[in-house]
Amino acid sequence: MTISTGPPITAKTPAAEAPPKGNRLWAWLIFLMGALYFMLPLAATFYWSLRAEKGRFGFEAYRRLFADANFMPAFSESIVNAIAAIFLSLLIIVPTAYWVRLRMPRLRPVVEFITLLPFVIPAVVLVFGIIRLYSRPPLLLTATYDSSRVLLVCVYAALSFPYMFRSVDNGLRAIDVRALTEAAQSLGANWITILREVIFPNLRVATLSGALLTFAIVLGELTIALYMAQKTLGPYMANLTRSKVYEPSAMAIVAFAITWVAMGMIAYISRERKQP
Amino acid sequence: MSGGFLSLEGVRKEFGGFVAVDRFNLEVAQGEFVSFLGPSGCGKTTTLRIVAGFEQPTSGAIRLAGKDVTSTKPNERNIGMVFQSYALFPNMTVGRNVGFGLKVRRTPKDEIEARVHEMLDLIQMRHLEKRYPYQLSGGQQQRVALARALAIHPQVLLLDEPLSALDAKIRVQLRAEIRAIQRKLGITAIYVTHDQEEALSISDRIVVMYEGRIEQVGSPFEIYNFPTTAFVASFVGTLNTTAAEVVDQATHLLQIDGVQLQAAEGLDDRQKGDKVTIAIRPERLNFVSQERKANILDCTVENITFLGSVVRVQVSVGSNRFYMDTFNNPFLELPKIGDKDQVTCSREAVLVLRQ
Repeated sequence: MTISTGPPITAKTPAAEAPPKGNRLWAWLIFLMGALYFMLPLAATFYWSLRAEKGRFGFEAYRRLFADANFMPAFSESIVNAIAAIFLSLLIIVPTAYWVRLRMPRLRPVVEFITLLPFVIPAVVLVFGIIRLYSRPPLLLTATYDSSRVLLVCVYAALSFPYMFRSVDNGLRAIDVRALTEAAQSLGANWITILREVIFPNLRVATLSGALLTFAIVLGELTIALYMAQKTLGPYMANLTRSKVYEPSAMAIVAFAITWVAMGMIAYISRERKQP
Repeated sequence: MSGGFLSLEGVRKEFGGFVAVDRFNLEVAQGEFVSFLGPSGCGKTTTLRIVAGFEQPTSGAIRLAGKDVTSTKPNERNIGMVFQSYALFPNMTVGRNVGFGLKVRRTPKDEIEARVHEMLDLIQMRHLEKRYPYQLSGGQQQRVALARALAIHPQVLLLDEPLSALDAKIRVQLRAEIRAIQRKLGITAIYVTHDQEEALSISDRIVVMYEGRIEQVGSPFEIYNFPTTAFVASFVGTLNTTAAEVVDQATHLLQIDGVQLQAAEGLDDRQKGDKVTIAIRPERLNFVSQERKANILDCTVENITFLGSVVRVQVSVGSNRFYMDTFNNPFLELPKIGDKDQVTCSREAVLVLRQ
């Protein structure tokens, strides 16, 4: 038997190796710059929103904002529009994505491209196209405020397609759609039951993240609502910017808060559903 | 087979130009357990899916209890199915999974509850009723899938490689459970597997498939001991196969490498000089004892392998290599590698395979 006199050899795993000090410094520096890039404008806006009263900081701008007779109607109208757009989008995207995955997987790139179109077409082009198409018979939908609102919800649903399709498609990828569908079929379920009882509940997190992203986008949408003469939050905010000094900043912070709450909900619900 | 509770008549399935199933004729009796056995891509799962209604046959018909169900939708066939991937609904508890089929049928709540409990008792998982699928082991999930398929009182139970995803020990245990439950309920079952041991141990009859066609249908005993084609012989169990020439058709005399060998049957439609393939199971070969006078083959021992309860000896006979299996025991006298010896087998052990 021989005994080695060399130095002891210890196994090194990549995880055990600490990055060099120089690298760590750069990482922190980049993180700090990124944080400043995102946080500074927000902090400045928040700071500005607190200066509505001369000589002291306070929430006067927020009070005035919520006291404005036009704010709550615009806010609630936007919320209703967003919810309606989410439901419409879900009703279109979930069965489509499900059917494409189950029966027509070759069509997936085509459908994906179609859902991306709202990204490609500028909002101004989109809205003028819609107004031209739907402002004359037989598709006259811009005649009244309410019919225009229905049209706006449809457009918002289309705007949500890129987010909704990706979220739902990722959700479908995470479950064995074919086996679940066939299992449900063999147990006697028809397509509606399968979608309602099996597919939708198993896409809860996916549809929710798509829905909340849609909510955040629709809530502050300006261009389309403005050209379709809708009294939603987007045009209200634009109008506010023209006539007030501090309230637009307060409004921006409120919109941010709503978006962040929506994001927080996605994160919370996703974590809740994680398997142990 | 008497009485076709489930009949597959001339079933053919094409995918584009590819023929996945062809000329498939089978009658399954009520309460029978039939396995489809074959290698991957032989069409066994496609045939099962045709029975389930997930695939439409290109031609042929499926009859269930005398009724043509070829065009019936899968959700209207009343056929239970167990999948390889379990396919339990992740959003439902064990109890809701089992009761799903009954809920779809609008069965009253109390009846659903009673049936769910009955099924969970059957699989001995009543205490796990409130668990979700992800909280169960693979074996438990497959038990739930079985209970769910049985809860709807299906006319036929289809099982598509249900044990493939499980480890060996659980597989053996669960296949015994599946068979016991099938016998207890007297349900007609079709079981797809590529595992010959599984098929041999669980089935009333086995349908051996190859390239979309039925090679042989028979009891496990028949399939193992009397394979009729070279494929069945090679696929089911270990088998020594070799080419032989017919010497005398009347006395079933054959010749391999100049050595004569006698079979018991299988040469009725052959003539002298015909080339045939013969097969001998390793366990039917023995080293020559004193009393044996016929079917003696000179051999050289090439290798000896211990396989636990069995010892496998590899011998060369002329240009052929044969395996010979013998039960292991501590007093077994084994030859040495390189020894010259003689092996023999009975006439009945020499199987002449159909071309």
